[in-house]
Amino acid sequence: MFSKKSSIVAILLVLMLTFSVFAVGCTNTEQTAGDAEEKQSENNNSNDEAKDDEKVTITIAGGAVGNEYELTKKGAEMYEKEHPNVNVKVLDTPDLADDRLGLYLQFLEAKSSKVDLYQLDVIWPGDLGEHFVDLNKYGAKKVTDKHFEHIIKNNTVNGELKAMPWFTDGGIFYYRTDLLKKYNLDVPKTWDELEKAAKKIQKGEREAGNPDFFGFVFQGNSYEGLTCDAIEWLYSNNAGKIISDDKKITVNNENAVEILNKIKGFVGTISPEGVTGMGEEDARNIWQAGNAAFMRNWPYAYGLGNSEDSAIKGKFDVAPLPHGKGSPASCLGGWQLGVSKYSEHKEIAADVALFMTSEKVQKMRAVEGSFNPTIPSLYEDEEILEANPFMGELKDMFVNGVARPSAATSPNYAETSELFYKAVHSIITGEEKAEDALEVLELDLQDATGFETGEPTKSN
Amino acid sequence: MKKMSDLAKKEQKLAYKLLLPTLIILILIAFYPLGQVFYTSFTDKEFASSNETHFVGFDNYKKLLSLNIEELEPILNENGEQKIDPETNEPVYERPIDVLPREPVRYKEFKVFNIFGKRYVLGATDPYFISALGNTLTFTIISVFLETVIGMIIALVVNSNFKGRGAMRAVMLIPWAVITVVSARMWEWMLNSNRTGFFNILLDKFNLADGQIAFLSKDSLQLPSMIAVDVWKTAPFMALLILAGLQLIPENLYEAARIDGAGKVKQFFTITLPLLKPSLAVALIFRTLDALRVFDVFQVLLSSKKYSLASYNYFQLIKSREMGMASSIGVVIFVLIFVFAVSYIRLLGVDQNAN
Repeated sequence: MFSKKSSIVAILLVLMLTFSVFAVGCTNTEQTAGDAEEKQSENNNSNDEAKDDEKVTITIAGGAVGNEYELTKKGAEMYEKEHPNVNVKVLDTPDLADDRLGLYLQFLEAKSSKVDLYQLDVIWPGDLGEHFVDLNKYGAKKVTDKHFEHIIKNNTVNGELKAMPWFTDGGIFYYRTDLLKKYNLDVPKTWDELEKAAKKIQKGEREAGNPDFFGFVFQGNSYEGLTCDAIEWLYSNNAGKIISDDKKITVNNENAVEILNKIKGFVGTISPEGVTGMGEEDARNIWQAGNAAFMRNWPYAYGLGNSEDSAIKGKFDVAPLPHGKGSPASCLGGWQLGVSKYSEHKEIAADVALFMTSEKVQKMRAVEGSFNPTIPSLYEDEEILEANPFMGELKDMFVNGVARPSAATSPNYAETSELFYKAVHSIITGEEKAEDALEVLELDLQDATGFETGEPTKSN
Repeated sequence: MKKMSDLAKKEQKLAYKLLLPTLIILILIAFYPLGQVFYTSFTDKEFASSNETHFVGFDNYKKLLSLNIEELEPILNENGEQKIDPETNEPVYERPIDVLPREPVRYKEFKVFNIFGKRYVLGATDPYFISALGNTLTFTIISVFLETVIGMIIALVVNSNFKGRGAMRAVMLIPWAVITVVSARMWEWMLNSNRTGFFNILLDKFNLADGQIAFLSKDSLQLPSMIAVDVWKTAPFMALLILAGLQLIPENLYEAARIDGAGKVKQFFTITLPLLKPSLAVALIFRTLDALRVFDVFQVLLSSKKYSLASYNYFQLIKSREMGMASSIGVVIFVLIFVFAVSYIRLLGVDQNAN
């Protein structure tokens, strides 16, 4: 009987041990959120909080890609200077949009008042709208017509403005002016030309003694960034944009197979084998070290590429991305500021949001970080154009960018995108044949959204 | 059985009273969330959403665990022979996507395999989950095996008498003391896919590769990389537990064995190993349970490229926001770990040693 008892004790002990697995399912939620809070307080040790008990503290959850965090901080200081009784904290959040979404969801599920302002991706207002206040009720109405209309439209859910446009983004093509000149090449206009030019430069540079040189780097990791890159490939080859505006699944077509096979051919030849594990920053690091001839990235890499410690300062320029059968496409990106419904100071938070998205701050961010303003008039501002000559040329590109199908698929966009980028990733890593993967993807998308299939929209 | 004396009864009562606070805390922090997860696993609750939650019974489990095997018929040409793909020179079979059932639930291709010259496809309603299960089990079995062997070697070395033994024992523990997320990041840099990564430099120096190996994106290298990180990190922990066991073995047993003329190898197998069994069992249980719920290494290094059970759980919760589904994955992990733990206890006889 004794041994029976002790085995019960043993089993109980095991139960206790096994129980800790739920750390992942539920406790993890609070833990990660807790970690972030700690980080936040660390970040703000410099602000002497002890003195000003009556001060209202507003916390912004923002990005930290490149010098984004510093600039948000600078914007916060500008606000603090004008409103001495408000303390604006900036909480830095993960670089990868997917990870950031994870963190946000944990705050939002807990209805946490710890964060007042969230920096929201252009694809989130539809899926997350229920957690944000209608900014039109907090004085945004006066300023909305200053901003790009298509972004305001994107951020308006059921007539409520869920977030203020902060900066817009579009995929652009970076090329090395010095290398094109050295090898006597023109800026590639099509994917074929890109492949040819990249091969030539890569061969030459490697023979000249840089074995780490590659032709073309992009975002090939299995994450939201790949959806952006891939939608540009598809759209530029008349293969549509996964799901059309009238809710038809269009992704399974010959043009898509063709262009995805082309990109697959890049991996391991003009692009490193590891490109299928790269995000924005991985690609930029290779590019900025002078180890790539071409890069697809967002505009933020422009300012950083011209910084003092950059190996390619003054040696590069930007252009529209190459195209296939269609016309060049740029994936519409960009970030917004939304005020949480669970904030304790919604009025002040909304005021901070309006301030951060105002001309003044947007201009500062454009000049110092090449963040594209969401206010059309700023594209004629001399200081901005001097710092970012490309902004004037590419303005139309940003305005007419290809939007990911977040509006058509809301609230299932996240799932749609995940299915898409996983399929594309399996194609470019060579795990699946393009035809098969797209056929499966089509069925998966039917399950996820319930939409019919249809013909892709042509880009030209 | 003898009747208990009054004093014993009194003591027993006191023991129960003293245990009460612990029990309450356990119920609050352990059984309540546990029960909550079990309950949520039977619903379609959405994470961070005000959508209504419905009770769906075993639907989540069905979706996770349904499997189906179908035979793929060869495709014949006009002469009644099997067609050969002109590009790859491989015989052509029906495609899994045409064979697997779609109604009422769709089965997706998980693996195609051959038995006795016939080709079959294993379909699953959630192939990601099944592959996460496979990844986790492979990871657990290989990494725990390697950790035990390496840990044993380290323990035997630092258990012998030499100068600087104390320092050696402390140094040995460093990898284990580093937070997993931090060490995973460190490994991410070392495994970097170009010549900024340590391993690529190393292989390049010895002319074994071109310095462009994508350890973390290449399917065949992902699990080995995970196992390497885990073995590096936890072999010291294994060594520590085994070392504790080694020090419990009385020295005079070895003396006696030496006098009887037993060699070192014989000593190891007849004295060290049997007497080490209890500590080894505890160490194995610890490591296996830990490895089965591996999360951080997979999440940091592979993210959504390849899942472990726990990281798939996380992605269901965060990406798909399906809290019900995520909870049922949690329950499956729970059951799996429970089965492993009980069988360890039975096989290695841990509870007899408790007496």
